[in-house]
Amino acid sequence: MRFLNTRQSISENAFELINIFIMLIICFLTLYPIWYCIVNSFNDGADAMMGGIYWWPRMFSIDNYKAVFADTSILKAFAVTILRTVIGTALAVYFTAMVSYALSKKELAGRKIYMMIGSITLFFSGGLIPFFILIKKIGLYDNFLVFIIPSMFYFFNAIIFIAFFKELPSALEESAKIDGANDVVIFIKIIIPLSTPVLATIAIYVGVYHWNDYFAGVIFIKSMDLQPIQTFLYKIIAENTSGQMMGRAAGSINQGAVTSQSIKLATMVATTFPIVCVYPFLQKYFVKGILLGSVKG
Amino acid sequence: MRDLSVRAGSKSRILAGIKKLSRQKYLQGMALIGIIWMMVFAYLPMYGIIIAFKKYNITKPIASAPWVGLQHFNDFFGDDKFIQILTNTLGISLLKLAIGFPLPIIFAVLLNEITSMRFKKYVQTVSYLPHFISWVVLGGIMITWTSEGGIINHILMELKVLNEPVVFLAEPQYFWGIAVISDIWKELGWSAIIYMAAIAGIDPELYEAATVDGASRFNRIFMITLPCIKGTVAVLFVLAVSSIMGTNFDQIFVLKNPLNAPASDVIDIYVYRMGMNSARFSYATAINLFKSVISLMLLLTANRVTKKLTDASLF
Amino acid sequence: MGNKKSLKILSVLVALMILVLSASGCSSDRGTVSVEPDKAAEQGADEGTPKDDEGPGWKKDTSDITFDWYIHYSWFGAKWGENEVTKYITEKTGVKINFIVPSGNENEKLNTLIASASLPDFVTLGWWENGVKMMQEGDLVHPLNKLADQYDADFYKAAAKSTLDWYKKPDGNVYGYPNFSMAPERIEEGMQIESNQTFLVRKDIYEQIGKPDMRTPEGFLNALKAAKEKFPTVNGQPLIPLGLQEFTDSGNKSIESDLVNFLAIPREKDGKYYDAETHPEYLRWMKVLRKANEMKLISKDIFVDKRSQMEEKMAQGRYFSMIYQRTDMASQQLELYRKNPDMVYIAIDGPSNESLEPNRPAFAGGMAGWTLTHISTNCKDSKRAIRFLTYLISEEGQKDVYLGKKGVTWDTIDGKDQMLPDVIKLMNSDRGEYDRKYGAEKTYWMLTDELAILKWKPPFEEPIKQNAEWGFGKAISYAAYDDIEPPADSDEGIILKQVKDKRALLLPKLILANSEEEFDKLVNEYQKMKNDIKYDKVISYSQQKIDEHKEALGIK
Repeated sequence: MRFLNTRQSISENAFELINIFIMLIICFLTLYPIWYCIVNSFNDGADAMMGGIYWWPRMFSIDNYKAVFADTSILKAFAVTILRTVIGTALAVYFTAMVSYALSKKELAGRKIYMMIGSITLFFSGGLIPFFILIKKIGLYDNFLVFIIPSMFYFFNAIIFIAFFKELPSALEESAKIDGANDVVIFIKIIIPLSTPVLATIAIYVGVYHWNDYFAGVIFIKSMDLQPIQTFLYKIIAENTSGQMMGRAAGSINQGAVTSQSIKLATMVATTFPIVCVYPFLQKYFVKGILLGSVKG
Repeated sequence: MRDLSVRAGSKSRILAGIKKLSRQKYLQGMALIGIIWMMVFAYLPMYGIIIAFKKYNITKPIASAPWVGLQHFNDFFGDDKFIQILTNTLGISLLKLAIGFPLPIIFAVLLNEITSMRFKKYVQTVSYLPHFISWVVLGGIMITWTSEGGIINHILMELKVLNEPVVFLAEPQYFWGIAVISDIWKELGWSAIIYMAAIAGIDPELYEAATVDGASRFNRIFMITLPCIKGTVAVLFVLAVSSIMGTNFDQIFVLKNPLNAPASDVIDIYVYRMGMNSARFSYATAINLFKSVISLMLLLTANRVTKKLTDASLF
Repeated sequence: MGNKKSLKILSVLVALMILVLSASGCSSDRGTVSVEPDKAAEQGADEGTPKDDEGPGWKKDTSDITFDWYIHYSWFGAKWGENEVTKYITEKTGVKINFIVPSGNENEKLNTLIASASLPDFVTLGWWENGVKMMQEGDLVHPLNKLADQYDADFYKAAAKSTLDWYKKPDGNVYGYPNFSMAPERIEEGMQIESNQTFLVRKDIYEQIGKPDMRTPEGFLNALKAAKEKFPTVNGQPLIPLGLQEFTDSGNKSIESDLVNFLAIPREKDGKYYDAETHPEYLRWMKVLRKANEMKLISKDIFVDKRSQMEEKMAQGRYFSMIYQRTDMASQQLELYRKNPDMVYIAIDGPSNESLEPNRPAFAGGMAGWTLTHISTNCKDSKRAIRFLTYLISEEGQKDVYLGKKGVTWDTIDGKDQMLPDVIKLMNSDRGEYDRKYGAEKTYWMLTDELAILKWKPPFEEPIKQNAEWGFGKAISYAAYDDIEPPADSDEGIILKQVKDKRALLLPKLILANSEEEFDKLVNEYQKMKNDIKYDKVISYSQQKIDEHKEALGIK
């Protein structure tokens, strides 16, 4: 039936073609500058300064990557980041989801006040120094948990959760309530499985934040053993940047194949690569309707 | 008598309240944990805001700093740059809102219409990659590409669009456009993720039913997809409106220069110059406080308007 | 069901991580063993026991101690304890250093350390940084003179008197000691003191246009024009006739400092400090730059490019001429030299005043020097700290830091104490490896005294040699005029900030002005704005500082 050549399917085919064309253009526009970065990161840094490298490395070299990975303690920094990303994301996602679930209930007493309390945190903050003093006072300074606990909740994410939870059909919850389940049980047994797309979205937000955050490592961490990868790499880049200052310039001159630009590119490629690898695993949670269907079935 | 009945009334209301609370003790517990977290990590440090009304010196405790009232606010509103930085901030933000807000929605909807699963996944992955290019790197590439001998001028001159090279970042009239386009390029796929998730939550039976009824592609987009993600769109719109007092600091910071300053000097850059470079912490805090108040007001207003128009809102 | 799976994946990941972490933990343990604390302790005990009250303070106690030392610059990457120099110093003094270097966000890091009173033992940062004033006024750092009086009088012998006077605060205390300070009493006749300020031209182009004199406006403009006509492009991209340092939020160093010095503009008129921007010579040459733009000899790229784009262009030889810090482009210079020795930039006499007086570039360093090192009030052992500081600024310490250990990194060759040829070779070819292996020269520059190390310096090599030697004899000290700006958060500082903001926008406008009338109009508006906001307050603040400085320097 559907394969019959009706007028409708002609216009649908045209739509499909145009759509694919648009997507291909978007792909090219996004991929090319990234390709440009990758190519330049695999080129000799001093040679890359000459410009003109657009499609392929002119002087292929992995020196930039060697410079990034030269110090073996980078592995430890990687481990810190992976650990904080995994633990931090898991905790933040479930914690935020739980609070948001409660806040999404219209009957929750004090809901308006709670929402106001949360909204204020979106815009008002006391600045870095009071926050730093707080972190020191509660013993999180130079402690792995400083990566986890202060980033466990962000009201922006809660708002998104709340919007999703509001749209969930209430029939399942009601029948569970009749069976005597309390709100915590309902949240874990029914709501969580129903909301994988939004859980995955927030997990991406929080996960990428953890992966890319270098600031906590600069301000709240003292020991080298607890440096996350981005802080570590920031340092490598800074060390390879020709100093602005006279003493530095008078003394040490940067030489050789690695330049600050080329090493920046290499670090960027090296840190983005793992995220690109993980993403497809999360993508399956975006597949249309898979979950609602399975719950109902 | 009347007193008694009032008292009885309030008493029964309290009783009813307690009853309600005990019925929702689990829900309350779940919410309160979040509130407590916010009290500790967001509200406790908020005492730092009072330095906006003081003359603070970071070597001394905040409490001992002398009060100056609204002096910092007056200085800011009286600064002859005030109008310019406000105009630039709002100009760039509103353009981003007008163009950068709908595009990811359109992109997500169109992507959803791609039938090949593989291609869809591929496009999605590729489109969000630019989010991971840091502005320092991207800004450097943009400066090189748009320079006098850069590739953009080269192409435009080959195409006879230009007769002689234009150093785009040296001309204030191009700056807003450059800021908006580069931001959209970088964040299109990333911003679309949330809409992809919303679309994924739509019940597939709706589509099946529509197909059986003979609905066209366009019908399905306009009758099912868009109405079903309306709530998400509304919420994100409210959030986007509330953030128009802010700009992308990293982006503007790498792209600005003295020639495009008339179009690129925004509040965040001004605060940076005052706070970081000039050690005027109180002044910088006051400006941020001003920004925060406006943002909160915008959030509440946008929320009310959206609620009226679409019936979907934050609260 | 998807959920369970993800939980499983998660738990596997966590388990893996714990494995990785514990594994890397092990390896790092092994790493630290190589420091051999026992040996160091033994030596400390060995040398610590035979007491000699006559000797330098740092010899009196050489037991093990580790100081935390904050360096305010994220690019500082040297470690302590792995290379010859630091091993030697630890062996001698028992002091180990744990460097604390912020990874970016330097000011935020320092601000949090200050506000929460958690400064480490030593703190090093540029004298112009806001942090200096905060720490000194907040009593977060020890007065060095008090520590010296109490524990180590040798400090006064090692430190330069005029440098101490220079940094003496109204309360009579000296809180930080600088590096690269050019104390006049230590400058000897015939010392060859470098300058970083240079006017550079590309050698091959300059020679092909007949080596013109570029000191006069006509010569300058004609040379730029000839260069552009003869060499319109470099590798297919347009030649940039004139390059300057980056135009930033606060102005342009090439114009405000280098050009002013080249024109030998006096800092004082009738014995009073005044605003050099109003000097006719300065305005005359700014008009020359405007004229250059009218003649299409200015590329707009120079207003847009940040330092890394400029470095790319230098490596490509895209500029014909530049008013630039030669030391800031040394690595590009070497790159050019490697490719084609004719393409390098050479320093020549640049824009000069009407009477063609020689260019007067400033000493690299100046009186204020570069960074100040402080001992914080949190210091775990200020006695050892001041003694160690004294050691570092003494002749012996300077030699140990600059040359290292005799026989290992240096020796007396031809009657001169100098680095071994192999060591120099490594320094010039792979600085990173050199720092890791030897760490001599200026790897640890925190207290380097340029005047002390001059005698050990290896000779310059081309192409740096030509650039550096151009300044010999021309460079002079502007000592009295260093560090005369008011603090950023004072009333004068706020006025100065407004002027700088304005100036940063004005300089490009002046160069791009369509006519001399427009130029004059812009200058008049700017001067009027300065009057309106009472810029003379800043001038009188500076005058006061200059008077103090002259007193410290012994200038009448």
